[in-house]
Amino acid sequence: MPFITIAYLIFLAAPVLLLALGSFGESWSNTLLPTGFTGRWFAEIASDPSFRRAFGTSLEIVALTCALNVLIGLPLAYAIQAGARGGLRIAARLVTFLPVAVPELVLAFGFILVFSSDALPWLGSFWLLAAGHLVLTLPYTVTALLADMDQLDLEAFENAAATLGASFAARFCDITLPLLGTSLLSTTLTVAALSIGEFQLSNLVSGFLSRTYPVVLLQAFYGATGFACAATIVLLSLATIASLTSSLTALAAGAGKTTA
Amino acid sequence: MMLRYENVSYTYPATNTGVFDISLEIGRGELLAIIGASGCGKSTVLKLLAGFMKPDAGRVLIDGQDVSDRLPETRQLGIVFQSYALFPHMRLWENVAYPLKVRGVNRSERRARAAAMLARVGMADRADDHPAMLSGGQQQRVALARALVYEPRGLLLDEPLSALDAALRLEMRDEILRVQRAAGIATLLVTHDQEEALSIADKVAVMRNGRLLQVGTPRELYETPVNAEVAGFVGQSNLWPGQVAGDGRVTTAFGALACDTGGHQVGSSVTVFVRPERIVPYSEESGAANGPFTGAVMADRYLGPIRRIDLAIGDSLIRLETHLREAVTSITIPPDAVRLLPAH
Repeated sequence: MPFITIAYLIFLAAPVLLLALGSFGESWSNTLLPTGFTGRWFAEIASDPSFRRAFGTSLEIVALTCALNVLIGLPLAYAIQAGARGGLRIAARLVTFLPVAVPELVLAFGFILVFSSDALPWLGSFWLLAAGHLVLTLPYTVTALLADMDQLDLEAFENAAATLGASFAARFCDITLPLLGTSLLSTTLTVAALSIGEFQLSNLVSGFLSRTYPVVLLQAFYGATGFACAATIVLLSLATIASLTSSLTALAAGAGKTTA
Repeated sequence: MMLRYENVSYTYPATNTGVFDISLEIGRGELLAIIGASGCGKSTVLKLLAGFMKPDAGRVLIDGQDVSDRLPETRQLGIVFQSYALFPHMRLWENVAYPLKVRGVNRSERRARAAAMLARVGMADRADDHPAMLSGGQQQRVALARALVYEPRGLLLDEPLSALDAALRLEMRDEILRVQRAAGIATLLVTHDQEEALSIADKVAVMRNGRLLQVGTPRELYETPVNAEVAGFVGQSNLWPGQVAGDGRVTTAFGALACDTGGHQVGSSVTVFVRPERIVPYSEESGAANGPFTGAVMADRYLGPIRRIDLAIGDSLIRLETHLREAVTSITIPPDAVRLLPAH
């Protein structure tokens, strides 16, 4: 069994390792491994205006997606948790979860159809792209928050606080937020990881000036191998940081729950 | 401080279960317990007073004020939940001080009042601990302190002892009563444990299928239950079908019993009710106003101070409790031990 695990890990990690090697290789054609050592591919990406712009756009989209997820996802999860019973609750969960089941391509075509009309001519705008990312990531936020609310038995604490005289606002600040804090942070970082790597929808919906990093990355594959590798590594690093911090906060939250 | 239900009804949406025509009154310093099997509606009655639900009909009053449409946070009631619901991210003193915090009391006074309250429940030395570090009984004490710290208009206890083990339950029962008496506060206790209710309540309400069957002192409930359901739920009982005969007797399947038949028409069907401890093992000197009846021992349970014996006479089963250690096969039933209840 350990052998299979190790083989699987190598299988998973090999492409990434090769990308990392390639990004520092002088040239790589018709050989198993690249030859020479250089940092110039990273320098080239850093000085490429379209990559710089895309990198900035990606960070803005990620930040906005995370913020919107918290601003919309938390109240939404809260409303489903507190208000919805039985059939309504299942329906609400289904609707929030639908974007996960529907292929992103379908969603993107829907966006193109609706937002290329004269009435709603927003296709290619930054805000529409952010909205697209929100639709794709919101299910994860709502589902994770609902699960944590159930597990924490948030309703019991809120009821207790209410009988002790706490208004809705006081309950939200004193009970809900502190208890859901770690869960919210972990969810937000997951959303960031999803948003950073998102390609399908961004590729179809983004405009020339609002392209995200993965969309521009596609162009890199038409150029030098080293340049493509370096461009991919940049994206990979961002995604890895988001995923790692997300897992670590989730782990910390889990540890907190077992001691509590 | 007075809590009052006036003809309160509530039906759960899309069902026909709920509570119906509940009228109860709990005076200052009084402890009223609601008992009944699970699903009888006793928790619903508590939630209606707490404000988690609004009655479909009738009124809920606190100190004479109609609060039926008020939110829980405006009702000024202290509630101890079955799960205690202590806030896990707050220290014990912060938990106890939370009701003061939302009422705008400043931090130093909050701390002082919380400490005083924790001392009253014997938890003064744990003020800076978190709830996760406490045992069930300790959490119970803190929950009680938190519910009483702001001098609420009523105290509501929702199955407060059900999560504790048997020995601790007895200790906490006395503790709750002590703190409740000291606070002199109107208290509603919801429990499925009839012994708990009988031992600490001033008045007990028995519920079944969303309706009140009887409200009375523990003694009234035990000695003069209004029907066979109450008799069967509160303590052990013998309930035999019978028919009122003309000569101050009631006939049962195992024989006629002399008793007070006042208020019952001759020939009417009744349920004959006798508590097991009122049945006397027959001996020469005890005599036999009724009986003696002789049967076969079906069960003989040794319970320490007493034995609980089931005697079969024909198809009838007679349950008695005795402190005698000898074999018992013949019994007699004193006429004043027999009560006639409406037939099932």
